[in-house]
Amino acid sequence: MECWAWIHPRAITEGLPGESAVPIEVMMPKLSPTMESGVLSQWLVRVGDQVKEGDVLADVETDKATMPMKSFDEGTVALLDRDVGDEIQLGERVLVLAKKGEDPAKVAEQYGGKKIYVARCQMSPYSPQKIAEQLGGEAPAPKASPEAEGVAPHEISSEAMKVPPRPEAQGAGANGREPSTPVAEPEPEPAPAPAGGRVKSSPLARKIARESQVDLARIRGSGPGGRVVRSDVEAFLEARAKQPAAPATTPSPAAPARELAAERIPHTRMRKTIAQRMVEAKKVAPEIHVAVDARVDELVAIRERLNARLAAEEIKLSLGDFVTKAVALALRRHPGINASFEPDAIVRHSEINIGIGVAVEAGVLVPVLRNADTLGLREIRRESEALVEAARKGKLTTEQMTGGTFTISNLGMYGVRQFDAILNLPEVAILAVGAAEKRPVVVGDALQVGTVMTLNLTADHRAIDGAMAAEFQRTLKGLLEDPASMLL
Amino acid sequence: MAVITFREALNQAMSEEMERDDRVFLMGEEVAEYEGAYKVSQGMLKRFGDRRVIDTPISEEGFAGIGIGAAMVGLRPIIEFMTFSFSLVAIDQVVNNAANIRYMSGGQFTIPIVFRGSSGMAGCLAATHSHRLEAWYAQVPGLTVVLPATPADAKGLLKSAIRSDDPVVFIEHENLYGEKGKVPDGEHLVPLGLAEVKRPGSDVSLITYSRSLKATLAAAEELAGEGIEAEVIDLRTIRPLDFEALLASVVKTHRAVIVEEDWPYCGVGAGIADRIYQVAFDELDAPIRRVAAKDAPIPYNRYLEASMLPSVDRIVAQVNDVLYKK
Repeated sequence: MECWAWIHPRAITEGLPGESAVPIEVMMPKLSPTMESGVLSQWLVRVGDQVKEGDVLADVETDKATMPMKSFDEGTVALLDRDVGDEIQLGERVLVLAKKGEDPAKVAEQYGGKKIYVARCQMSPYSPQKIAEQLGGEAPAPKASPEAEGVAPHEISSEAMKVPPRPEAQGAGANGREPSTPVAEPEPEPAPAPAGGRVKSSPLARKIARESQVDLARIRGSGPGGRVVRSDVEAFLEARAKQPAAPATTPSPAAPARELAAERIPHTRMRKTIAQRMVEAKKVAPEIHVAVDARVDELVAIRERLNARLAAEEIKLSLGDFVTKAVALALRRHPGINASFEPDAIVRHSEINIGIGVAVEAGVLVPVLRNADTLGLREIRRESEALVEAARKGKLTTEQMTGGTFTISNLGMYGVRQFDAILNLPEVAILAVGAAEKRPVVVGDALQVGTVMTLNLTADHRAIDGAMAAEFQRTLKGLLEDPASMLL
Repeated sequence: MAVITFREALNQAMSEEMERDDRVFLMGEEVAEYEGAYKVSQGMLKRFGDRRVIDTPISEEGFAGIGIGAAMVGLRPIIEFMTFSFSLVAIDQVVNNAANIRYMSGGQFTIPIVFRGSSGMAGCLAATHSHRLEAWYAQVPGLTVVLPATPADAKGLLKSAIRSDDPVVFIEHENLYGEKGKVPDGEHLVPLGLAEVKRPGSDVSLITYSRSLKATLAAAEELAGEGIEAEVIDLRTIRPLDFEALLASVVKTHRAVIVEEDWPYCGVGAGIADRIYQVAFDELDAPIRRVAAKDAPIPYNRYLEASMLPSVDRIVAQVNDVLYKK
């Protein structure tokens, strides 16, 4: 079982000051549920500052928002490990506090330069299988296998050890003799930016890229996990050499003076998170879309009446608030829609917490309206407003961003009639709400003008079958078309 | 240059050195009357008499210690362990005394001794008689650890080992004793601490020693059929390591696979890979891969035992991996 020793937490404590030394090493905490790293946006303490429990040490930009990083301890700041702008992985050390009676200068000296990293076994990309692969078959058999129980050696099945297949271009040029297929897009066309920010590359590929002054991010890696290897860099250089000189550097006399350079916008952390979560949802969840039209003339009338009454309180209900209320009530009747899909079970939630998609400058956030089924319209309005404002200012708390059980995405204000939303995993359904608009409506055999709203439910078919989705939609339609029934 | 067996080459080396230097003698279990458990000392009792070819009781720690004492007072003993698996009971003598007396005595005593004998997974010898302890000995400063792979190297390296003024652990793979090869007659010395490129190549460095050289060369042959030119380096001495030779090869090929019969964890290849990473990280286009024995006790069953060994298939698979093929 030698591989485990590599990630045993003991390994990271060895060589550090013994237990008698007790300065506090403050690590990057998890400030949002999906955060894997944070960017230090501002230090709020300086070396020498006294801090108490609860004091804000720094502002940290997570994948969702800028969050205050608070101290859980009391002490004197002895050492700040990182600079503003640094991306810091979860569990990586950020600063060191000297405790009462300790000399901060000595602590700084002792801990300076010793950046340590807390082992993140569960998050490690090095699963036992991966490690076995890395060791080229030298890892022992899984404990459960009967052959491994005794002393008999156990050949790990060749299937399990096989390296995943790679793109065609892979083998080419690996030993420098086969004709190499260009695997990189020639400059100045930008190659696809690598997911996750860090470019995986072999040391030799990095060296060649450095010497040739090539940005590795422009090269598509053909090795395992997209690793850029020597043949990729060489193919890229070859392709570049064959390219006619880029117009930007040698404009032809006839070319217009103005350069039409494409704008390159580096991914923000939120953009990366959105990209990753949307791809994940599309990848794992077989979606179905079930749309209904709800005639909301009565709702519109009630809204006007209530708003006239609420004018004194400066509250203005939106149609969306009624939809939120109706959805919450419908979810109570259809617990299968208010659920999460987990590998071994569908979890029907006891609370009805409705996430509301909010467009912000950098992307979209989904703050959560908790226990929405227990809220009146007035509370729904007030809380929604507060959440939207916090979202736009980047001030949402973890509490406000977590715990959702269903999501509503409303593009009605843009005049959109109908659209498809992508699931907000692990939730199993999301409702796309269109505009309430006047449309021709057939009543009996006659044509009328009515106010109609299209509600399109996206459901994860792993958890929700078509009929379940349709039943939920029928309930929702009923509540919206006959608002008085919400009182029942 | 005659074609002789590995065991005959060892016999030549000892006999020539005993002719050359009266201080050299051979001692161990069954080395005299029985002419060696593996017939390495055939004819030597007759030729040199029982003053210089000495049978011992089953008492490895005792005769290893006697050898060290003899070396301290000026003799040049060759101590044969019937197998290195049995050297475990004498390891205190080898590690604590042989390796350290020169250092501990401030250079007052040197220990010109050779501990030699068979080793390895040799076929149905089961867990306790199949040890490959080279990594254990190679970790100890003060010892030279030699593992020849060919008859010519066996002779040349053993002669150099006997002439060394410091202790040498000389490990002979049991399955190589019958191996035949051209061996220079008479004075043939292979310096300790020098690797040899047994097959030149440009695409990947295959680093190996002892019996694994055979599988490695066979793998290189198979790879050549696929258009991959593997460079095969026979370390011959694993301590001190000929790192310059390895570096020259890795800088050329940018890839390395280490093939060894010892266990993977803390094995010889682990130490070699570490050195390459420390010095030549930027030269690597792929992680160094290792083909070692499987990490389990050595089974008695011949098929299971065979599955433990570095095989041509396993080597080829790792080479393809570092070349990003398949």
